[in-house]
Amino acid sequence: MQKTKGDLVLPGDFIGTSEEFLPGSGTYEADGNIYAANVGTVQINLKERSASILPRTDVPPIPKVGDIVIGRVSDIKGSVALVDIARIKGQEDREIATPEQGAIHISNVKNAYVRDLAHEFGYQDIVRAKVIDAKTLRLSTDGRDLGVIKAFCSKCTTALKRKGDKLECPKCRHMETRKIAEDYGSGTV
Amino acid sequence: MKDKPEKLIVKGKRLDGRKMDELRPIKIEVGVLKRADGSCYMELGENKVMAAVYGPREVHPRHLQEATKAIIRYRYNMASFSVEERKRPGPDRRSVEISKVSRDAIEPVIIKECFPKAAVDIFVEVLQADAGTRTAGINAASVALADAGIPMKGLVSSCAVGKIDGQIVLDPMKEEDNYGEADMPIAMVMPDKITLLQMDGCFTQDEFKQAFELAKKGCEQIYEMQRQALIEKYGVEGK
Repeated sequence: MQKTKGDLVLPGDFIGTSEEFLPGSGTYEADGNIYAANVGTVQINLKERSASILPRTDVPPIPKVGDIVIGRVSDIKGSVALVDIARIKGQEDREIATPEQGAIHISNVKNAYVRDLAHEFGYQDIVRAKVIDAKTLRLSTDGRDLGVIKAFCSKCTTALKRKGDKLECPKCRHMETRKIAEDYGSGTV
Repeated sequence: MKDKPEKLIVKGKRLDGRKMDELRPIKIEVGVLKRADGSCYMELGENKVMAAVYGPREVHPRHLQEATKAIIRYRYNMASFSVEERKRPGPDRRSVEISKVSRDAIEPVIIKECFPKAAVDIFVEVLQADAGTRTAGINAASVALADAGIPMKGLVSSCAVGKIDGQIVLDPMKEEDNYGEADMPIAMVMPDKITLLQMDGCFTQDEFKQAFELAKKGCEQIYEMQRQALIEKYGVEGK
């Protein structure tokens, strides 16, 4: 039976034929027909003539352009910092579905000249970043609310405390610089 | 264990009063576990199974991951208190095999290409067993996957047929399974794909055909109930 906009469908339900629609998200194409792949309501975009499913269930988190992600710096190379992405903001209780590393290029750290990436990030720091390219997972920390939200002393690995716009180690008094988010150390992701 | 009853069919009715082509009462609840990404609790007569789905998530150990698609892991486990005599906990020959065939029954419907390098973990715990736990597990796992929002080509429905006192019956319960002549679980994706077919005992060719058609009818009924359970949970706006 032909489905129309707003109908509830379950996986395997027939939505329309491939001649009518392009298969959008939450659908799949088989034998010239389009079927639902998720539990949700049918959405039909008449402009591009596509049929997609607006899920009613929670869906596995996949990063999109503009998403805010939380991750840990796993490596700092000459001009990029690599981040193991743990969660997408808004879907914190579900593990990311495509476990891949994101990369922050030195040019996307902040809206200013960055001479050395080591002045902005440290190994194992926890960062909040924005996705600027979903395919290659390029990230940016340009923004007041983006950047390091927890950092560790490079000498003794104690969690650093904020002191003005710098960070200080409460144990060994070592001072470090980071591209810090405005709510650094508040514990909120 | 109870002794073998003299007859499994009395006056055209089975021991529990069912007709030959009647399923046991079924209850399906969706989204019962808070910490799982998708879950389902199912009762099939005296069987009680819980299915939980986690992921797609990172694969450990790493060498198991596949670069182009997700891997599916399925664990069927019986609780030590699920049967009359305490079952020694942990995987054994039987549950390893059931895990494998159940995974093979579920795997073809999952669109694995959506999640490269990830793993989808399905856990099926049998809390109370009364013949037909693998079919109940597959049914529950399929609903749990839909609850987790994992893209699927359809729901998998599963049910068993048996032969008792020379007659083909749908969905045998424990006495019928223990003292019957045959037991055949099947799983299918509506309308016509078979993903599991096992058989224990003997059928003649004609009996097999008859049994197979009966099992299909059982699967259709279960499929409707799986749909109803999902619609009940997600039919209205907002959860």
